[in-house]
This record gives sequence, C-alpha cells and structure tokens, in this order.
Amino acid sequence: MRDYIIRRLLGLIPILIGISLAIFIIMQLIPGDVVSGILGIEQTPELRAMWEKKLGLDKPLVEQYLTWIGKAVTGDFGESFRTGAPVFPEIMSRFRISAELAIMGCIFAWIIALPLGIISALKRNSVIDRVVRVIALMGVSIPNFASATLIILFLAKGFNYHTPVKYVGLFENFGTNMEIMVIPAFILGSVMAGSVMRMTRSSMLEVLRQDYIKAVRAKGAPERVTIFRHAFRNSSIPIITLIGMQIGSLMGGTVVIEQIFSIPGLGQYTLTGINQRDYPVVQGCVLFIAVLYVVINLLVDILYTYIDPRISYN
Amino acid sequence: MKKQNILSIVLAIVAVAAIVFCIVGNGQKADLQKQVDELNAKVASLTKELETAKSDAEAAAKEAAEALEAAKKTAEEELNAAVKAAEEAAQKAAEEAAKAAEEAAKTPVERSGVLRYGMETEPAGFDPHTCSSHASIRVMSQVYNQLVDLDENLVVIPELARSWEVGEDLKTYTFHLAENATFHSGRKVTAEDVKYSFERILSPELGALGNSASYAGDVESIETPDEYTVVMHLKNPSVTFLSNVSSIYCSIVDKDVVEAKGNLLQDDGGTGPYTLGEYVPDNHVFVNAYDAHFDDAYKASFDAIEFYTMTDANSRLNALRAGTIDLIVADTAMLELVKPEDPIQEISYQTRDYYALFMNCTRAPFDDVRVRQAINYALNREEIIDFAFNGQAAVSGFVPASMGHWAVDVTEKDYYTQNIEKAKALLAEAGYPDGFETVITVGLNDGIRDIGMVVQQQLEAIGIKADVQNEENATYIDKWKAHDLDIMVCQNGAGSDPNRGVAFFFSSTGSANIQNYSNARVDELCVLGAGEADVEKREAIYKEAINIILDECATATVACPKAYFLASPKLQGYAPNASSTSNFAGVTLAK
Repeated sequence: MRDYIIRRLLGLIPILIGISLAIFIIMQLIPGDVVSGILGIEQTPELRAMWEKKLGLDKPLVEQYLTWIGKAVTGDFGESFRTGAPVFPEIMSRFRISAELAIMGCIFAWIIALPLGIISALKRNSVIDRVVRVIALMGVSIPNFASATLIILFLAKGFNYHTPVKYVGLFENFGTNMEIMVIPAFILGSVMAGSVMRMTRSSMLEVLRQDYIKAVRAKGAPERVTIFRHAFRNSSIPIITLIGMQIGSLMGGTVVIEQIFSIPGLGQYTLTGINQRDYPVVQGCVLFIAVLYVVINLLVDILYTYIDPRISYN
Repeated sequence: MKKQNILSIVLAIVAVAAIVFCIVGNGQKADLQKQVDELNAKVASLTKELETAKSDAEAAAKEAAEALEAAKKTAEEELNAAVKAAEEAAQKAAEEAAKAAEEAAKTPVERSGVLRYGMETEPAGFDPHTCSSHASIRVMSQVYNQLVDLDENLVVIPELARSWEVGEDLKTYTFHLAENATFHSGRKVTAEDVKYSFERILSPELGALGNSASYAGDVESIETPDEYTVVMHLKNPSVTFLSNVSSIYCSIVDKDVVEAKGNLLQDDGGTGPYTLGEYVPDNHVFVNAYDAHFDDAYKASFDAIEFYTMTDANSRLNALRAGTIDLIVADTAMLELVKPEDPIQEISYQTRDYYALFMNCTRAPFDDVRVRQAINYALNREEIIDFAFNGQAAVSGFVPASMGHWAVDVTEKDYYTQNIEKAKALLAEAGYPDGFETVITVGLNDGIRDIGMVVQQQLEAIGIKADVQNEENATYIDKWKAHDLDIMVCQNGAGSDPNRGVAFFFSSTGSANIQNYSNARVDELCVLGAGEADVEKREAIYKEAINIILDECATATVACPKAYFLASPKLQGYAPNASSTSNFAGVTLAK
C-alpha cells in the first residue's frame, strides 16, 4: 500500500509539470494582459514599458516560466500583480472557505441522496420511486445559479431577509458563519444530490439482482442487514467514485455560488485573477486545485480497499 | 511509616529551627550595638559642623539682604514690562482660542453610524498612484487627499493646499499647504511630503498613472522654500495643471509608510477623512473615520464606510431590498427590476462620459469626409438611447453638457438629426451608391454592445452592411491600442477640462486618437488652448476646435449616459456628480 501511495504521488510530478505548462501558455495566449488592465485608458508606450519591466514581463517567456515554476516548487507562488499580496497564503485561506462550503454541500447531498436512492431502488417503479426520480432529475437539471437567484429573491421579497454580506470565518463566529453558508451549501448539495441519488439507485438495483443477495435473504437475514451490510456496501464503490470526483470539482467549482453569495472562496479568487489577468494568482490557483484533485482521487482509491477487501494495490 | 517516627522527625525539625533562630538572633544583636555607637559619634561631629555653619549663615544673610534691596528695584521694573507683554499675549491667545472654538463649533460631531456600500467589482489594490479600477478609486477617495479638488462646476477648490499662485509664464505653481493636516500616522503633512509624493509619481520605476501629460507628467522640478510652501516648475506652460493634479492619481502620500511597506497596495499612507481598515479580498474593505482630519468640509460623516464586493447584480439589489446594504452601484437594466413598492430610492447624475462611433479616418472608405457625414446622418440617436439606455441618456457631443460652458450643443448641428436621403446622396457622391461592407467592433460593456446592434440596423438603411464583432474585453482594448478598426463603438471620459476632451482624443498626437484624425488647425488650437489662461479666450479656442471636429465628423457621438445608484430611503444628502462620486461629507443615514 505504501509503495502504491508513493507511486501515485510520484505520478503527480509529470501531471503538475503538464498542467503548469498548459496554464502558463493559456494565460499568455488569452488576448489582453495585466498591464492593459492596470493602465486602462491612461496607457502610453512609456508607462507600458515601465510596468512590463516592473512585473518582469519583458523577459523571455521561457525565463518567466522557469522563474515561476522554480519558486512554486518551494511553495512560493509569488505575489499578486494587482494587490501585491503573496498568493500562497491567500490560496490557503480561500481554500478553507471553499472546503467548508464543499463539505457542507456534500453532507446535504448525502443526507438527501443516499436514503432516497436506496428507497427508490428498493421500491422500484412504485410512486415513491417515480417521485424521487423526478426530484433527482430536477436537481441535476436546474442550474445552481438559477436556484440561487430564485432563493435570494424569495427571501428578500417574502421575508425581508438576505444572508449576511460580511464574511465571517467558521472559528470567528460559528452562528453567523452558518447563517452565511447554509443556503449556498444547500443549493450546491441539491445539485449534487440529483446525480448521487441516481447513481445510488442504479448501483443498488444492480447489486440487489445478484445471487448472493438472494442467498443472504434465503439464509433468513433481517432485511436491514441485507440492505446495509450486503447490498449498500457492495454498491457504494461507484457512489464513492462519483462523490470523490464531485468534491474535487467543488473545490474550484463553487465559483458561481461564491459570486452570488459574495463568499470569498478559492473559485472567486481564481475568477477575479482571470478577469484581472493576474498571472501569479491564476497559475497558483490552478496548480493548487490540480494537486487537490489528484490527492482526493488518491484518497478515494485508498478508501476502496476498506470498503471492498478484495481490492488490493499490493 | 509509623506515627511515632513521623512525630520524632517533626520534633527534630522544630528543634533544629529553634537553634538556628537563636544563633542568627544573637549575631544580629551584636551588630546593632556596633551601629548605634557609630551613629552617636556621627551626631557629635554634625553638631559641631552645624554651629560653624550657623555663624557663616548669619554673615551671608546680611549680604543677601543688601543684594535683595538692589534686586527688588530692578525686578519691579522688569515685572511691569513682563505684565504688559503677558497681557498682550493673553489677549492674542484668547482671540485665537475664540476663533478655534468657532471653527470647532462648525465641526459636525454627530456621525450617523455605518454606511454599507455594495460594489459591482473587486478593488484591485489601494495605491492611489498605481491603481485605476473604479472600485479602488471609491475606497481611495476616502483615504487620500490631493493638493486641490474640483467642485461640481469644475472650479478648482482648496484641499491640502489652502491657497496657490500661478506664475505669469504658466510654468510656476506655488502651493501653500494647510498647517494642521496630518497623515493617519499622526505626522504633520509638510512641503517635503508633497515633494516626495510627486517625485514618486514621476519615478520611472513605479509606472504611476499620474506620470503622463494629463496629470503630473509635466512637472520638471519641485522646491520647498519653507515647511508649508511648495513650488512646482513645469516643462511647458499649462493652464490645466491645477485640475490635472486634482486627480486621485496625484494624491499626497506618507513617505514613511511607502518606505516601510514598499508600496501602498495594502496599506494606508493617506490624509483623508477615513483610514483604511479591515480588508478581506473578494468580500469587503472597511474605512474608519479619522477624527483628526484637517478640513471640516470633508470630515467623516459616518463612523465607518463598509465597501462590499457583490458582483452579482441580483444579489446586490436583493440585499438592498432586505436592508442588509444601504447603497449599491446600479445600471439601467437593474432599474427595471425595482418595483414601486420596494423601499428603494434612485440616485443618478449626468456623467462626463460619452458613447461614440469612432471611424478610422485613414482607412477607406472612412478617409472620405462625406462617408463619415453620411454615417452621422444615418443615425437615429433617440432610438439608440431608447434601446441601449432605456431612454435614460442625453444626445451629446464629445464635450458633454455636464462640462458646463465648454460644451457645444450638437443637436443644433444638421447631421445630428437623422436624414436617410441626405446620407444616401453623400454616399453616392463619395462613390458608394450601393453602400459597402464594414466591421463594427464592440466590447467592454452592454451600452457599447447595444449601440453596436442598433447602429448595424440603422446603417443597413443606407446600404452599409456592418458585421458587429463583439470582442472580449482585453481583445477590445488591444484593438483600441493598435487603432485596428473600421468603426469602433467606445465609451470615453471627457475629463475635467476641454484640453483632455479635445486634445487627448482629436489632436494628431493625442494618445487616444484611435481614429487617426488629423487637422492642422485643430492641432494648433490645442496648443493655444493649453497655454491660454483667460477663460473666455480659452472657451473661444476650444469651441472653434470642437466645431471643426464636429463638421469633419471625425466621430459620430451618440449619448452621454447617466450613472445610477440605488439606495435605502434612509440615506440622505448623497448627491454624486461627475466631479465627485464618492464624497460622503454631510451624508447621513436616518435611524
């Protein structure tokens, strides 16, 4: 197992080199640059040259890339061109916020999706199954920006309420933090719940048809044991794969919700960086999200071995 | 351990302690006796000395009495003089105190809580010399002061400089600074700080926005004859220098902070009515009232202003509805969403921006003035304003009516009224009876994009087939920079002086002359205007230039838009204008 983990982590190196190169090239290819953004209409050739020199953009691209990647390896992602703030500490503080949002979203999704998915599989083609399937379809198909906007409008018009606009950290004030995070997390969760519910249902159905379930039932095991110990556990591999992927994508993918609810998360940071052509910020964020994605997938793979002892990486 | 053993150990300890105490006590007794003897001897010798001193003192007292008599006489004379001087000084001080009290009485003591302001974008740093984003400027306006300011009629008014003189050659500007102004660190603002700030702006390493001819770029040298006087020498004569340095890009900054922190992107080196407070990027930045601000006219009227980044327009509007926010930046699309029953007030002002079609005067067919005139005739500007601005804008030239007496009323010009027949005739005359194909470049904002769409339809009526290319912001700016255009719809700022509105966009050397327009007389007039101090003469010069440009149709201006804010009805006294959109002095929030 240890060898496997080391192998996987080593495999991260070429991936990161590839991603860092890709994001560096993409940032160079998108039209417009940070200097135009900073100077706007006040731009003159002299001012432009001053800024290019100041930001090191007058150097050859290869040199720019090597300087950046050389520092990034040591955890120094440089400083934001626009605000002067060091990028790495900012990423870490934003990551905590996005992670909280993502985890809360997942909890909501599991609370809704897993029981409903199981019930739906057990009562196949019943009224409950149909209702659950419709709900799941709605969850998957209503984009979260639409549901978020509708919920905000409903709360403002109906109850004169809006979530607090001043962000407060989880450990600063738990109550206010929850007031800020619960609604966005629920919206994120409801979208995730749709696909998790569908996956749970189909995966359960598949397992329930297996002979060993019949054997367990014939043995006279109680239904609760049949479902949770035998059926659900065996059907959870694809569900966990799906959830792992969702958590990974949520880390950088909560941007729309973060924007609507003014939550200063990682997605918002990346987006502001892209809009301002703030190269160190965008490159740092993308690299960080890539590492995170790979690590979460690794954790999911390790989790398989606990759920299904037949899986072994030795 | 047995009880008896314990008892015997305790007894032993007590016995040892008693012995030690006795030994130490005896030793001390002997020492004390010795000290007493010594002291007795000392007392005897001191008594002797005292007797000698007594007789000496009697002699000295006699001498002193004589000296005193003499001194008394002189002292009486001096005292009279001193009393007189003191009386005069006291009177002066009383007068000054009365003045100060009078001034203090003017100071508004009561502040109305906290103003919560929802902005549409994230500020990009807070260094007034290098940050140009709207959101940054809103915050920096509270934290920094300039030498002078402009009122809503574009008249220069004092800020850190309480008075100034302009040399006859228009190249020497002398500023007299407020003597009570302090940086937020508490340090007094002196002439050296002004010198430092301008030298920072002009340093080639910084790339400051104020380092161009439109702002402080013309400063050649700076002298500080005394602590509160600054003399600036310019490279060229300029009548616009005062309004140039009223820009936020020419703010006076604290040398100590800049040197300690390297820049002001995240730090406060200002003198303004508010200090820079908590900043959580992508969420909020707070500014807090600075009690020691030097100017009553700009004193903080809130304990704090909280700026929130709320990029989602719906979220801003609903937060305002729910009372979580007091003031938000709005646009015309948002106005439609406000229902009469919503507890929301609308605040607007006519900007000094204008939307216009810029045509490339060096690229066929726009190099023919008749084609440019035809395009002007083809436009129905009211229809454009209805579609792009919900009717909320005024037909305008490139020196809009909000610039007061400098403006020229374009509606009096024939080609600002749609005339399709005339347009077609002009096109035919220019050799394009069936029109031609062209490209309209749009981007940046909805106003520009909407204008592009309507203009495309309107040009079709005279046979011009225009392909509207909607560019991503940065590409749009790249094309703007490269003057790569057939027709480009732009939003420009006419600035605070016609010199910018005319020379910056229409002189051959103007940095924003993206249409490559060139007219020798206009160039000449721009030079004349920049060096003319007499306002009436200047007005005549610029109006001549404006009329030439309008008649040659170097551009087809469309509209001067309004800027909108939505606010809680509790917000009172907020009256933004084109000169100052973020002045909250005197603004209150009813409870």
